Amino acid sequence: MHSFGYRLNTVLTFALLLLAVLCGAASFLDAFNSPLSASSSYVQANAQVVKVNRFRRQLNGADEVSLTFNVSLDMKRLFTWNTKQVFVFLAAEYETPKNALNQISLWDHIILDKDQAMFQTKVTTKYPLIDQGSNLRGRKVDLILHWHVMPKTGRMIRDKLRLSDFHLPEAYT
Amino acid sequence: MDWQGQKRAEILMQIMLVVSAVAAFGVGYTIGSFRTMMLAYAGGVVLTTLITVPNWPFFNRHPLKWLDPSEAERHPKPHVNSAAASSKKKAAKHK
Repeated sequence: MHSFGYRLNTVLTFALLLLAVLCGAASFLDAFNSPLSASSSYVQANAQVVKVNRFRRQLNGADEVSLTFNVSLDMKRLFTWNTKQVFVFLAAEYETPKNALNQISLWDHIILDKDQAMFQTKVTTKYPLIDQGSNLRGRKVDLILHWHVMPKTGRMIRDKLRLSDFHLPEAYT
Repeated sequence: MDWQGQKRAEILMQIMLVVSAVAAFGVGYTIGSFRTMMLAYAGGVVLTTLITVPNWPFFNRHPLKWLDPSEAERHPKPHVNSAAASSKKKAAKHK
């Protein structure tokens, strides 16, 4: 502490150490906000398929579906002071003889703010549902909502919620 | 900066930084704004730097009291005989 440089170095080093402690404390508190066991009470969501826009077989033999659906979301309670954004995507999950679990993202959205975390919208699939083969006729498909809570500091929290299921038609359109 | 001043500066720095960190966390958490916490803490760090890093007169209130030159002349430094010291060492090695 005898010279200007030493004092400056000491102040900055200790300040950085405390900054790390602050960030650690902030992300530690986040762990109490959305416990994984109670996700359904933290997120209110619904998604229903309204219409099958297109259902066809591609030239290479893979089934392709385009859907329209209603989505309503309330993810306000996921937001804490340490939340930067919430990435949310709707995935179609189904089982085929070849794969025990097929998981295809149909629509996604980035929620930047708590005020925008509650909405209702009618969307078409952003990304087409394409199967690895031709197994989709009459297939039961689950709609699962996945979300990633991205904090300003700390661990990213991921979780999912099963919303609904529907059966694809028996015939191509 | 004298000895007392250095000690005072270090203690002051630690206390001020810890207090500003705790205060920033409290304020940020209550308002619910991470940005406020960061700004409050940055303010605390700047304030601490301004107070404890420059050599303020506040840190120079206890100057060292050197002996008066006349006092030093009255008690001359004992003269070390280097030749005798080195022969002693050699003797110790031979043992």
